[in-house]
Amino acid sequence: MDRISALMDGELDDREAQSTIVRLKDDSELRIRWDEFHLVRDALRGDPLLSAGFDESLSKRLAEEPTVLAPRRTASQTRRATTYAMSAAASVSAAALVAWVALSPNSPSGVQPNGFMEAKQSMPAKPNVDDLRPVVVPYDGRANDYLFMHEAVSPSGILQGLAPYVRSVSSVPADRR
Amino acid sequence: MRVWLVLVLGMAGAAKAADAGNAGEGLSWLKKMAAASRQLNYSGTIVYQHRNHVETSRIVHYVNPAGGEFEKLETMDGPPREVVRSNDHVICYLPNVKTVLIEERNRSARNFPALVPESLGGITESYAIRKGEVDRVAGHDCQWILLEPRDEMRYGRRFCAELGSGLPLRAHTLNEKGEPLESFAFSQLTMGGSFSRDRVKSKYAEKSKAQNWRVERSGYTAAATTPSDSGWTVTGHLPGFRKLMEAKRSIGGRGASVSQIVLSDGLAAVSVFIEPMRETKGPSLSSQGAVNIYTRPLSNHIVTVLGEAPTATLMQIANSLEQKPTTASLR
Repeated sequence: MDRISALMDGELDDREAQSTIVRLKDDSELRIRWDEFHLVRDALRGDPLLSAGFDESLSKRLAEEPTVLAPRRTASQTRRATTYAMSAAASVSAAALVAWVALSPNSPSGVQPNGFMEAKQSMPAKPNVDDLRPVVVPYDGRANDYLFMHEAVSPSGILQGLAPYVRSVSSVPADRR
Repeated sequence: MRVWLVLVLGMAGAAKAADAGNAGEGLSWLKKMAAASRQLNYSGTIVYQHRNHVETSRIVHYVNPAGGEFEKLETMDGPPREVVRSNDHVICYLPNVKTVLIEERNRSARNFPALVPESLGGITESYAIRKGEVDRVAGHDCQWILLEPRDEMRYGRRFCAELGSGLPLRAHTLNEKGEPLESFAFSQLTMGGSFSRDRVKSKYAEKSKAQNWRVERSGYTAAATTPSDSGWTVTGHLPGFRKLMEAKRSIGGRGASVSQIVLSDGLAAVSVFIEPMRETKGPSLSSQGAVNIYTRPLSNHIVTVLGEAPTATLMQIANSLEQKPTTASLR
């Protein structure tokens, strides 16, 4: 799992990246994870999402394209094609990484939830369900009852006793942040 | 070649064994911490810190001769607030708004997770645990225990446990960059002392009754005493997280019944609350210390997901929520 995020963050060297891409090809669970990571990150960055089932409909449309009659490839061509495909995959991922770095916003300092890069506008993670553009708001204490109920079941309480309840009774002055 | 292979495999094996040994020791420290938190008598001052906010509280914890547990937390800054707990019964007094919040936990209810040290077992799946340095907090020597998350689904934790008893004296939650999101630390601590009712009783106990403060009781609907069905299900792929409980609940301050689902990786917990939509509200994010809060509308309901986990994890949980087909529509 870590590998997927490391791959997305450009933290893997070429060899590791390649082996992870190969594993992605074979492991459907990893692919789901890959998709989820992207969905969440896209959402966090505010990129417009592709419609649900985009990949299926693309595959379907491709399948419906007329077949081009062409001479059969020789074994060496196939190999070369694979090599091209691999390097293409590598450059696509490299381009994606560059884009990732380039597009990562230096978000203006403001109220931000923990680890949240940019939430001025993000988009529906499930566009067919609801419009999901979260706005980042300072905590107003409105969920204190929920927080209180949450502390009662969180295993943190096993180690820390009542201390975490401070969060649910914390006075929240508006000028706090 | 073969020699190298054997050598490398051997080294890897040894490293793995050492890792496992270290994790085992870390885990036994966690259990020691949990036991100390429940069994020790102590009183002290706790400093809670997040962002630029610092808040001081007094905390006392006593166990009576019968083994009953009593604890009181009293804030020292801002408007006075008190939280008292006797065993599984937690009461929060908010004198400035003349309100009492009561969380009653019926031990016999099967849907309730047992908050016991044994439930810490699954932690090693999600965190690499190791021993750190010996440090000093509030005049007491303590051992750092470091929990590094194995993926981005959760935050890192650090605890400094008192060398003799294991009582956690300092606790940090760290973001993905290893920066503290919040910390709890004793600035003064006295261990020992004997149980006395007065020490763990709220000074508002009588006053709140005499003045008829508003009481918000969060109870469980009758159905919740049996393994309960919230009517909703979390479908996302959430490595390490397991469902701890689900229930339909009535909450004093909120009109209709609320569904609650709690997921946990053994240390961090995420609560999902689903209530009927009363006013149209768009999705929003906020945070309180290391707890993030994500709210979104979902088919005539408002979903609130909160917990000490990264926003991406909360959003993934919220966005994978599905309403189960009702029994009526199945018939």
